[in-house]
Amino acid sequence: MSDQDQATLGIPEDAMRRLAEMRPGSPGALFTSDLTVNEFLLVREAGFRPLGLVLGSSIYHVGLQVGRWSQNMELDKLSQAMYHARELAMTRMEAEADALGADGIVGVRLDIEFKEFGNDLAEFVAVGTAVKADAPGTWRNDENKPFTSDLSGQDFWTLIQAGYAPLGMVMGSCVYHIAHQRGFSALSNVGKNVEIPQFTEALYDARELAMSRMQAEAEELHAEGIVGVQLLALPHRWGGHTTEFFAIGTAVRPLRADHTIATPQLVLPLTDR
Amino acid sequence: MTLQDGTPWDGTGLPPAAQARIDRARKSHVRSSLLSVGGHVGIESCGFIPVAEVMGCIVEYIGFQGYGGCGYYGQMGGMGYGGGYGGGGYGGAYGGQAPVVTSGSGSGWSGFAPYVNALYHGWDTALDRMASEARQLGADGVVGISLTEKHLGAGNREFLAMGTAVRSSGHTHVNTPFTTTLDGQDVAKLVHSGWMPAAVAVGISVGIRHDDYQTRMSQSAFAANMEVVGFTQLVTAVRADARHQLERRTARVGADGAILDTPVSLAIHEMEVAEGHRDHIAESSAVASTLVRFHRQDTLPPVPGMVIMLSGPGTSARRRGSR
Repeated sequence: MSDQDQATLGIPEDAMRRLAEMRPGSPGALFTSDLTVNEFLLVREAGFRPLGLVLGSSIYHVGLQVGRWSQNMELDKLSQAMYHARELAMTRMEAEADALGADGIVGVRLDIEFKEFGNDLAEFVAVGTAVKADAPGTWRNDENKPFTSDLSGQDFWTLIQAGYAPLGMVMGSCVYHIAHQRGFSALSNVGKNVEIPQFTEALYDARELAMSRMQAEAEELHAEGIVGVQLLALPHRWGGHTTEFFAIGTAVRPLRADHTIATPQLVLPLTDR
Repeated sequence: MTLQDGTPWDGTGLPPAAQARIDRARKSHVRSSLLSVGGHVGIESCGFIPVAEVMGCIVEYIGFQGYGGCGYYGQMGGMGYGGGYGGGGYGGAYGGQAPVVTSGSGSGWSGFAPYVNALYHGWDTALDRMASEARQLGADGVVGISLTEKHLGAGNREFLAMGTAVRSSGHTHVNTPFTTTLDGQDVAKLVHSGWMPAAVAVGISVGIRHDDYQTRMSQSAFAANMEVVGFTQLVTAVRADARHQLERRTARVGADGAILDTPVSLAIHEMEVAEGHRDHIAESSAVASTLVRFHRQDTLPPVPGMVIMLSGPGTSARRRGSR
């Protein structure tokens, strides 16, 4: 960048003058955000203003349910607990964003942390940055709630460029108990390389349940599709045979008919990574 | 090390060793920096020149935490113990539910306020001493600051701030150097887009909540699925207070906003406050770089183009872990 360019941008003169003019203000007029600098600038470029860091939390006692030793089965009580607690955290985060008058929440992270104290206590926490569009428009979803998205600022920008808007985060959970093998069948497999159909089937069933629940949520939002889906197997604390299968993604709707984006440029960076 | 007249350093200004280093650096033409090559190029691209690495540190003995009761008994109309200190708690003490008392709610004694004030004093002093070094070197700001906290045992804690002092190549200079935890590349991107880092802001809160019947029952291994409302209230109130304190400090600087450095931290643990009874305590903190907007245009100057990197992990890098 030449000195000429710097001068037109007011660098660093305007910046320094602005610093010298700073006066104490009142809280509320300012924004907070846990976006990175890259994400912050891209979200601004996409036409959104960060309003504030929003957060929802629930400390939840996950009840007790034991699967039958030799049976593949969903542990519906545990599935319900995982659903309910996440829902509580998400709803509280959305309520904070609503209070700020936000159009949506970007960069949402939904985490679970089992606590060291108490029995089966876990904290479910949802964190994101509430944003408001610069130009007026309908960004909220059908239920007049702010949209939510777990996409990074970069992905959010690209999504908007491509003519899509996030509607809401959708998820599906299934806590599944995978049967133990009976001694007899385990014995007959000794020394062989074989598929254990029972295990394969269990993993299939559990994933299908999680994914179809996520899909049902997206249908309820009248979404066109779900992007950035993650399908996770979370063992939590229930031992080797009980796993939570968890599907999460961002449901999107089209903003316009065509979805062409500018042809990307190829770049060969000179860095190692 | 002692001062020139032989008396030990009394804690005002810079320690003698630091003062000697700064005096030497002022006379020297050698410039030092903690920035990476990329950061160095970035910071120069927006009109700042690295001057020297600067540091500020303080070791504090934190002996008095300021436990002022959990705010339960006084509000329940009991013995009057503790409750008087914890006014303005969160949640209210209706129906046997305990309130949450945070360090930011009510008087200077509520919810470990002396402990939180000691933490603020630690960070503020470390940052002030670092800024003081920068000012003496004629710098206008400090970039790429790392903040570290170390427990030295026996109640001693070290607060350390380290960064690279930079000076504007223009004619305008400031008396109070700006500070930021962002590295040279991030500062460059911001300045080119019309944002200027202002100061590092920290928000801290500690809260306590009496373990009541509901919280005790729902911790039983045989309890059904249920939210532990008391604990949720505790962590919600403490995080909210930490964010509020961060906003207050951002506003006090006069900045337009703040970008958090790391996620809002949270730690929760038990404390045995009386024989056989435990309460829960949560601590939360938020560290941010505050920003001011200076660009005159309505829209941002550079429009990002789309690129495909011909190296590295490719599209799998989209996960937020590697942003």
